[in-house]
Amino acid sequence: MLRRPALGLVLAWIVVNAIAAGTARAAPAPLRIGYSDWPGWVAWQIAIDKGWLSEAGLDVKFDWFDYSASMEAFAAGKLDAELLTNGDALVMGAGGARNVMILITDYSNGNDMIVGRPGIKTLADLKGKRIGVEIGLVDHLLLLDGLKKQGMTQNDVTLVNSKTNETPQVLASGQVDAIGAWQPNAGLAMKALPGARPVYTSAQSPGLIYDVMTVNPASISAHRADYIKLLRVWDRVVSYINDPKTQADAVQIMAARVGLAPEKYQQLLAGTHLISIAEAKKIMVKADGLGSLYGSTQNADDFNVRNAVYKQPQKIDGYIEPSLTAAQP
Amino acid sequence: MARSTLFRVLRPLSPRARLVIGVLSFVLPVGLWSLVSYVPAVWHPQVMITDPGSVSYLDVGAHLTRAAYQSELADAKQEGRAPPRGVPANPIYLPSPGEVLKAFYTSFTTPPETRDGQWLHQSLWHSIQIIFWGYVISSLIGVPLGILCGAYAALARVNEPFIEFFRYLPAPAFGALMVAILGIYDGPKIAIIVIGTFFQQVLIIANTTRKLDPALLEAALTLGTRSRQLLTRVVVPAILPDLYRDQRILLGWAWTYLIVAELIGTTSGITWFITQQARYQHFPNVYAAIAMIGIIGLGTDMLLALLGRHLFPWDRSLAKFA
Repeated sequence: MLRRPALGLVLAWIVVNAIAAGTARAAPAPLRIGYSDWPGWVAWQIAIDKGWLSEAGLDVKFDWFDYSASMEAFAAGKLDAELLTNGDALVMGAGGARNVMILITDYSNGNDMIVGRPGIKTLADLKGKRIGVEIGLVDHLLLLDGLKKQGMTQNDVTLVNSKTNETPQVLASGQVDAIGAWQPNAGLAMKALPGARPVYTSAQSPGLIYDVMTVNPASISAHRADYIKLLRVWDRVVSYINDPKTQADAVQIMAARVGLAPEKYQQLLAGTHLISIAEAKKIMVKADGLGSLYGSTQNADDFNVRNAVYKQPQKIDGYIEPSLTAAQP
Repeated sequence: MARSTLFRVLRPLSPRARLVIGVLSFVLPVGLWSLVSYVPAVWHPQVMITDPGSVSYLDVGAHLTRAAYQSELADAKQEGRAPPRGVPANPIYLPSPGEVLKAFYTSFTTPPETRDGQWLHQSLWHSIQIIFWGYVISSLIGVPLGILCGAYAALARVNEPFIEFFRYLPAPAFGALMVAILGIYDGPKIAIIVIGTFFQQVLIIANTTRKLDPALLEAALTLGTRSRQLLTRVVVPAILPDLYRDQRILLGWAWTYLIVAELIGTTSGITWFITQQARYQHFPNVYAAIAMIGIIGLGTDMLLALLGRHLFPWDRSLAKFA
């Protein structure tokens, strides 16, 4: 036994505080949403900063993550909703984290690109060359899409598996002839190696990569009305960014979130096509091809299975819930 | 200071020599860094463009290798176009000491730009709290267990093989598991620090306990100390100065897990600052943040060393070399 009660009290206090430190901040907010560094998701910062969420009667907490950490948190059931790409929503689902896409925030419109070193002018020049890309992720998909249009396949090039945020250094090292990356990495790669230029971008294949809000199905049935309100706030965010009168303020808020100068952020925004509710209604209709979220997600599923990201093809219909978007005025 | 007085095996330095050499240990690397940064002849393998001239793909501020710059210059001259201009520069990942110093100042004085943002000192304070709780929780269990393992061979045998195995598992590998158990806020981060520190702690402290001078035990037994008192009255007081030094080293150990810990769950603390600045290649800010961690770590350690000298005035090794 402790002979000095004071010491015992101190120890007890320390333990209690330690437990409190671990749990106090995790007090449950009705809706918890994870977001990360991508223009279509950073856009939510406008709603947060302007107080539009509470104005709409919503109690929503947005938590900032590293992209893959947000997927871990969602898979562990710690988040109600999460912002990610449609292809990665399938990856999470195949891993056991059931999720349903209820909102399309944007599609990549040039922010994903294949960048060739100086001297490489077109995608066709890459035949037989080495390409640094993070295998299994979106820009691998972009590369295959581009190669297909040139009548080539993956076998016509050599892939070098590279972490996307290291691609600028990989290209500058001269050990590959091109890289596949999204912004800001692609831009940094071109800055680090002047003369390097994009040979294929997501602007040439709109809808190949949709960015979405995906939700835990249990949370939808419990908070359906809240999600409908949340989607209305999204429409307000899109108009605020697209309206020339308020765009500067919008860019200012988004740039501040990621710690970049507003004029530089403007360029990143240009490569992202934000999707209003009116437009989303048309995309969330069942159809083949990249103009539909269903077609695009099917394409991503084929890609994931072919590249052994997971084995079992996913049932696309179960991943998309268009009714909340359709319920918007 | 003759050479013979500086290099004597296991002899302390004079106070003056201690101070001068201690200062040199910082002056030398910073001096080298300044030399590389401010004297173009030393390295500067690139050219920073100040005027793109007629070269369409260049922007002001772009970095070009010297060879590429020379060939663009030659082409432009040959064709009678406006030549690009630039100044020798180091790669962007090696900013000069001046730039880093400026970044150090401005990162503290820049107010948070988003409504839910934090000042840098708030982020740092959050990181310090994570370290503190991780270290305290680890020590609450690790120190007593380490002493017991050191004192009783049977306890050591039942614990240490497993701990030896477990300490090789990289703490970050438990990230997703900790998020599943403890949520997305501070819980999993503290847990990673604990996992990273605890297993080393038990082994180090058990080892320290074993190094106790057996003459002390024999003397105590001769004087009629009972077995339980032996631990509380002899072993613990005898190893206390060494234990204190171990704990100082382990605190540094806990710090090294901070960055991986804070990337788990929501990005927070100083790590948020470092990763975000690195993503957009604002390297002066990254270096400044690394320096902050170093200053906090070294500062704490110096304070603890000072405190140690007052707590354990009889410990000679502490006074000489700490």
